[in-house]
Amino acid sequence: MTSFSSPRRIRRRRLPWQAIIDCLVLLLWGLVLVRFAVTGKLFLLLHPDYMWLSNLAAVMLLGLGLIRAFQIWRSLVSPQGLGGVRSEEHIALLPRQISTGLLLAMAIFGLTYTPRPFTSETAFQRGITDVLGQTRSRPERFVLSGAPEDRTIVDWIRTLNVYPEPDAYAEQPVKVSGFVVHMPAWPEGTFMISRFVLTCCAADAYPVGLPVQLPSGETMPEPDAWLEVTGMMQTGTLDGQRQLIIGSPELTAIPEPRNPYEY
Amino acid sequence: MVQLNNGITLFFSLLVEALPFLLLGVLFSSVLLLFVDEQKLLALVPRNAVLAALVGSLIGFMFPVCECGNIPVARRLLMKGAPTAVAIGYLLAAPTVNPIVFWATWVAFRDQPEIVFLRVLFTLVVAITVAVIFSTQKDMRPFVQESLARIMGEPDPPAVHNQPENGKADPLAAETSPLLQSGSYLMQSSGQVLQLSAPPAKTLAIVAEASQPLSYRLRMMVDNMVLEMRELGAVLIIGSAIAAFVQVAIPREVVLGLGQGPVTSIVAMMALAWVVSICSTVDSFFALSFASTFTSGALLAFLVFGPMIDLKNISLLLTVFKGRAILYLFALAAQLTFLLCLVMNFYVL
Repeated sequence: MTSFSSPRRIRRRRLPWQAIIDCLVLLLWGLVLVRFAVTGKLFLLLHPDYMWLSNLAAVMLLGLGLIRAFQIWRSLVSPQGLGGVRSEEHIALLPRQISTGLLLAMAIFGLTYTPRPFTSETAFQRGITDVLGQTRSRPERFVLSGAPEDRTIVDWIRTLNVYPEPDAYAEQPVKVSGFVVHMPAWPEGTFMISRFVLTCCAADAYPVGLPVQLPSGETMPEPDAWLEVTGMMQTGTLDGQRQLIIGSPELTAIPEPRNPYEY
Repeated sequence: MVQLNNGITLFFSLLVEALPFLLLGVLFSSVLLLFVDEQKLLALVPRNAVLAALVGSLIGFMFPVCECGNIPVARRLLMKGAPTAVAIGYLLAAPTVNPIVFWATWVAFRDQPEIVFLRVLFTLVVAITVAVIFSTQKDMRPFVQESLARIMGEPDPPAVHNQPENGKADPLAAETSPLLQSGSYLMQSSGQVLQLSAPPAKTLAIVAEASQPLSYRLRMMVDNMVLEMRELGAVLIIGSAIAAFVQVAIPREVVLGLGQGPVTSIVAMMALAWVVSICSTVDSFFALSFASTFTSGALLAFLVFGPMIDLKNISLLLTVFKGRAILYLFALAAQLTFLLCLVMNFYVL
């Protein structure tokens, strides 16, 4: 490129609108991913093992967008223009305008919307009643982690999966945190402290929980409130099944964690 | 309102998880489009139908493109004189049997590795069977679109003295000597002729072989990436929205009722695979959102059948095959997938 044209020449050329919007879409989607990563909302969407993939995608999108921007700028100052974008190789399902519009709209939506963690509503939809005491993963290796009071909810459930006799854990101290789910079939004064478990992304999040029995007369915490529950394990009967229940609990309200899932 | 929030969170979760794989797929397909010479590859293909079908099914390891990119490649393969078994095997298996899709499926179904491996195995079985059945048809030209049939008739490199076909040939196919047609030509290296009014795919295939300056190729690569990103990204958005909607809005009992029957679940997921034209690099994440409610056989049916034929593919396939051939492809692939997954539902898991 030996000579650049004057600004007047730039104005005379028709702007390559499709290329400009494509470039904008790429940059905006890159920014959406950057925003999720910076605000920590990526924790709500992905398993931490795969966050690097999303970051890689952000870099690729921004890079591609910048290359496109550079090409557009070059085309505006060079006499040859942008040249045709080949589209004969692909026969698209959607007309170009619709796909472009959809991508642009969703990028803007992604820049303005803040994802929220799942609540007890989702726990019901995902069948919290079916999976109580079950985890989907079948680990080949299982190491019981340290003291009982260090176990998280999912650690407890996995321990129970391996050795399901509730009496084995009676009188063990317990300290777990999670959100409150009111189970319709349970008696007053009993609720579930639960968490979602993630293997890949929010699409496969499934709920696990432990029942908590309040002393009689104590008021139930609001559904979806985040609590730390400290107490002693005991056994009892719920849904016609003998189960491990957290007894004599001490409830402390905690702020919603930055990362609400367990893995 | 809570449900809407959940749905949107789910929607973005699927998008964010799938985007990196989509980008990698688009990157690979664009690199291959411009930097790999299929001609040299074809010289190595065995003539035996079963072996050729196997090779065709495994080419995906070198051309890791999803179903949106593989039909143009299959078309180029046919144009360059590939045996039918290779092209069909490639068409059906390549979107699934390639490293990127394998990785994405692994990420999604880490907990159920049998799904990852059976996906590859079932795809190979279906692709090879259909490819062998199609290769019993010696002359494929009645099944492919006329513009392609015309090109396919040529030996490669094109013979100047064209032999008349044994009477039954398409009259258009006989007219194959490039210099006997009207139009403008560019002489290429090694005696090839580029007709300027040739179909774009052919022009591109020949142009891609001729050595272009690297800067030009890189620009074409970026162009192609942007183009595929736009098309596939939009389809991904629609697919994610449907998956999120089904999870949030349809009552669990309904989904479970459909998803737990060994037969209904497979039929439902195959129908879904046909309607939701989601790209094979990311469809495992879509399937993952049904993992807790549908049988494993149904998830496999989705993962095996989806990349072979979906709504979007039909418009793409029509650029290669005639309707009748697509119907055969569709019916054979659907029946085989259904049978394999049914066996799995009843006897394996």
